[in-house]
Amino acid sequence: MRSDIPDNDKIKVRLFANLRELVGEREITITVPGGVTVSYLNNEILNKYPQLKSFSNKFVTSVNCKVTTDDTVITSSDEIALLPPVSGG
Amino acid sequence: MIPLLLLVMKLLFCRQSAGDEFLIRVTTNHLSLQEVMRELEDDSAGALSIFMGNVRNRGRYGNVSEIYYEAYSEMAEEKMREIENEAQTKWAIKKLVAIHRIGNLKVGETSIIIGVSSEHRNEAFEACKYIINNVKTRVPIWKKEITDESQKWTDGILLE
Repeated sequence: MRSDIPDNDKIKVRLFANLRELVGEREITITVPGGVTVSYLNNEILNKYPQLKSFSNKFVTSVNCKVTTDDTVITSSDEIALLPPVSGG
Repeated sequence: MIPLLLLVMKLLFCRQSAGDEFLIRVTTNHLSLQEVMRELEDDSAGALSIFMGNVRNRGRYGNVSEIYYEAYSEMAEEKMREIENEAQTKWAIKKLVAIHRIGNLKVGETSIIIGVSSEHRNEAFEACKYIINNVKTRVPIWKKEITDESQKWTDGILLE
């Protein structure tokens, strides 16, 4: 195996509220090259689910229950979720 | 071995145990004021402050029949714990309860109870207000207003 070709990671992403309804799934799986960032993952999600594109600035991404930045590197062992604006209480 | 270690780390990231004086929960069960009062009992507490949030019949999109609440429960409980730890550092709190109900709630039903006991009233009032204000803006919970004409997710605040 060539070491310069990264293995693919299957990233599971949890969806909530309007995002869950738009996609019709509570959890989706996105295949990405190993070592990618949140920004790369989000672009892949928007390509696979274009119905989310108009909401691209209306959600944040959490990794292991923490809201994270676009340049955070992710792996398949991370718990990732897309979180629309909150309105509890 | 490594996958097992990663799983344990993930569980640790998402779930930390609360202290005995803190009851924090996201639940589908009806909320009980009596249960909260029992949790807050403390002979050294002279003050007890409780906030209850109920579903009201008038919403942003018309006459509400019910509200559907959804949560990212693991993260919600972690964020509620974070907020309550902040409150504990600001005020001398004896005991503290925060329970948020999710699922379909009808008009008049209680969606959230925050309870704080402290030696004197000011700490209980202030801590209770701090906790509910921060739960509404920092915890991943969403609500959908259901009226006769529509079902709409309520606009909210983007988490930071």
